[in-house]
Amino acid sequence: MLDFQRYQLEFTAHIRSPKTAKKPANVPDARMAVYREIVFNNIFGSASACFPVCRTILGNRAWLKLTRQFFALHQATTPIFREIPQEFLKFIATVTNLPVYFQQLAHYEWVELAIGLQTATTPKLSKNTELLDESPALAPAHMLLEYNYPVHKISAKFKPKNEEKTYLLVFRNNKFEVKFIELNPTTFQLLKLIHENDMTGEQALVSLSEHIQHPDTNAVIAFGLEILQDLTEQGAIIGSVKTN
Amino acid sequence: MALLNAIKGVGLGLKRELIPQIQNLYQNSSIANINFVEIAPENWIGAGGKAAQDLAWFTERYPVACHGLCLSLGGPDPLNINFLKQVKAFLAEHKIPLYTEHLSYCSDIQHGKAGYLYDLLPIPFTEEAVHYVAKRIRQTQDILEQRIAVENTSFYVSAPISSMDEITFLNAVLAEADCNLHLDINNIYVNSINFGFDAHAFLRKIPKECIVYSHIAGHYQEAPDLLVDTHGEDVIDPVWELLENAYQLFGTFPTLLERDTNIPPLPELMPEVNKIAAIQEKALC
Repeated sequence: MLDFQRYQLEFTAHIRSPKTAKKPANVPDARMAVYREIVFNNIFGSASACFPVCRTILGNRAWLKLTRQFFALHQATTPIFREIPQEFLKFIATVTNLPVYFQQLAHYEWVELAIGLQTATTPKLSKNTELLDESPALAPAHMLLEYNYPVHKISAKFKPKNEEKTYLLVFRNNKFEVKFIELNPTTFQLLKLIHENDMTGEQALVSLSEHIQHPDTNAVIAFGLEILQDLTEQGAIIGSVKTN
Repeated sequence: MALLNAIKGVGLGLKRELIPQIQNLYQNSSIANINFVEIAPENWIGAGGKAAQDLAWFTERYPVACHGLCLSLGGPDPLNINFLKQVKAFLAEHKIPLYTEHLSYCSDIQHGKAGYLYDLLPIPFTEEAVHYVAKRIRQTQDILEQRIAVENTSFYVSAPISSMDEITFLNAVLAEADCNLHLDINNIYVNSINFGFDAHAFLRKIPKECIVYSHIAGHYQEAPDLLVDTHGEDVIDPVWELLENAYQLFGTFPTLLERDTNIPPLPELMPEVNKIAAIQEKALC
């Protein structure tokens, strides 16, 4: 390591953790204070903008402490600004004294940002949408999510005490708005089947019917079609594509 | 590929808040003096959705310059080659002719791991640092297969281990790296107050042939001897004078207004854009 680099590392160690790492010798404290503030404020602003509910849940004091620890202890590896929240997710996975639902809540808050900016290509849609005979196409920027807590309902007034399986479809509509739909477990499974396999709507519903051992496959198909139509109206399904 | 000489006249830093306003006033005479815009690749690489649509809108209508923040030319960790390859692909995809970076660092190594701090930190001005940074600039230019420009950066702490002043350091790096200069007029002024030197004397030592374009911006006065480079205020008179002086010394060059915080509506920014155009015109007479 070169001499000037030793100085640089002292300099950044102090900015990251002023209480545990001394500033470099013979550097005026008033000037060092500028860096202590602006560098941390930048990180704090980025985390606070992405995780407003996490901040509310913890309260300002604990949030400040957590973001301070993030800056002091976590070595972020991405140069891309919108990926800083992902670095925060990596960091909180190592923190032990947070509420049990906190990691999943933070993930959900990140999803909103991520879907908004996700790159996605629209598949070639058929002229007429055929939800049963073809494969229903989900909005290209979407995530099918499974949480152990109702993360979308958490607020200062509602902090879940018990686990409650929660299934969400988060997607970007054609106006670039990010929307979420809460799904029941069966619909979640149906969408996973359609999305992860090259299946028509009907094939997926038959497969689902067998899986849940439903006595009346036709009833499942009829009910499933209603669900797919409803998702189409909400903009989560944008049409259909031919299967191979 | 767009040509470097497409970057001319007056530019404006493209902040999200300004995007719809420029789109609404496009081809309106009130914003005719905006000739080019500047973006930070760290904000746009890999972004889809509305951001991708906006970027396409601008690259179709305006020459765009890329002004990076996170390459960390002076950083102690290895240069992020993967990121540089992303930058290269981004420049090619969007036909962006110019990439500039700061003569600073924004990453470190702690607990044996490299990491970003996402802000511009001052490189100590030493011989070793000149060689180190110049080598990394050359490496960057080799990978991108194009010249880059480096920007003189604003600082608040001068390293006690520095063995030369900023202008000596800057010139040594430019010569050894064989790269261009992205001249920041406001940063010269900020540093001249923060470290008590003559901004005009500094300017006179700038190698004219290296300048590709310049920045001008406002700053925040924290104390009589401490200016913080917030890009959040109007440009002050001594900085305008410095720009005028620069045009007199070197001839005009493209100049971009940076406004990153406390951003007013576009019509309130236009007088500063127009003022740059007026100073450029005056310098030509």
